Amino acid sequence: MRTVKWMKTPKGYVTISLITYLIIASIGYKTLNGIRNALIAVVAAFVIEFFYSRIINRKSSKDGVVITGLIISLVLSITTSWPYVVGTAAISILSKHLLVFKKKPIFNPAAIGLFVSVFIFHIGHSWWGAFGDLPWWLMMFLLIGGYIVTDRVNKFPQVFAFLGTFFVLLFFMGYFQVGDAADALRPPFINATIFFGLFMLTDPPTSPAKYKNQILFGVISAVSGIVVYGMFGGLTYLFFGLFMGNLYNYWNKRSVMKSAELKQQRMKNSQRALYK
Amino acid sequence: MKKTDKKWIILCSTAVAAVYSAGYLTTENQVSIEQPIHQVAKNIQTNNKAVNDGSVSNAQKNKLYKDGTFTGTGMNRRGSIDVMVTIQNDKITNVEISDFAMHYSESDIVGLPDEVLKNQGARVINVSGATYSTEAFEDAVQDALNQAFNTVG
Repeated sequence: MRTVKWMKTPKGYVTISLITYLIIASIGYKTLNGIRNALIAVVAAFVIEFFYSRIINRKSSKDGVVITGLIISLVLSITTSWPYVVGTAAISILSKHLLVFKKKPIFNPAAIGLFVSVFIFHIGHSWWGAFGDLPWWLMMFLLIGGYIVTDRVNKFPQVFAFLGTFFVLLFFMGYFQVGDAADALRPPFINATIFFGLFMLTDPPTSPAKYKNQILFGVISAVSGIVVYGMFGGLTYLFFGLFMGNLYNYWNKRSVMKSAELKQQRMKNSQRALYK
Repeated sequence: MKKTDKKWIILCSTAVAAVYSAGYLTTENQVSIEQPIHQVAKNIQTNNKAVNDGSVSNAQKNKLYKDGTFTGTGMNRRGSIDVMVTIQNDKITNVEISDFAMHYSESDIVGLPDEVLKNQGARVINVSGATYSTEAFEDAVQDALNQAFNTVG
């Protein structure tokens, strides 16, 4: 009964979808390397999370750790050797605990790990778990799983704002022949964008809840990502866009907290004035 | 918070799909990579005196490869690599990456030309996590060697 209940939670949906993609992609690529990397990433993330939580005496989030490990393994190449997988998982988990605001991570942990690993370990991302080199129709699985997850976390405005802005900008890039829009609109890059938009951008702790903020978050992420893509190409543009969105979310939370504190202060002052 | 109306979801999905399709069609003629082609023959042959007006020396006939510098291209869905391979007396004497247009960093495969020189062949040890660049590099070297292959002998 507990398992059934867990399966219906947002984290349950995400975990089931990611495991399904892991299995489908492993069959498609005819290799168990991806599953091996997934196990390594999840175990490493668990171990680091366990010890860190012990040290700072804090309850660990098991679901979040599994999701982070799975995303890492689905994005990294299946040929990535285990020390790099462990290193990426370690960066992700540490960022979750160190870069925080009110005990919640500021940046998407998996995105931080994957972004930093490119520069530290010089490892590429293949987005194999998004079926980048497999038949195009497999993207249907991404869309179905992503739709369910997005609906469950109530992030449709954010996803539409992101994808809409992203594709509009790529259309203009293509029309005016600026940068390499053709690549970004085709596999494996389009698979990466869909996977990223539906499973990473929608992470509840690092993205806003209100619809108006979600739309701004999506637009900021898309514009920043496309600017980086247009200037540098590469494969890290999606993550950079997400970090800009994460920073907006952080700034937003801080502003809300500050205005709440000011309001509270004003109320206290007026109460004091009344009693005088 | 109240869930997004299903009608809005359908409407927005259609709009996003329409914009994507417009972008896809607009960039149709800009697609540089025929997917999933792994290599495209391209040959810029310099300093090659092997094939000319039918007079081929016996020494040249017995060679496996023509002497000269040959350019090969390796492509996959993540970009392309051009290499220039110089051959002298059936020996690879120089390998240079002349154009790197992958979506990865060139520094990941910077040691591969030396490996080709050492191995005297296109096969190199796979760079962990840089499989696509390594494959494109190998294909490019093999393409250049195919151009150099001496069909006369």
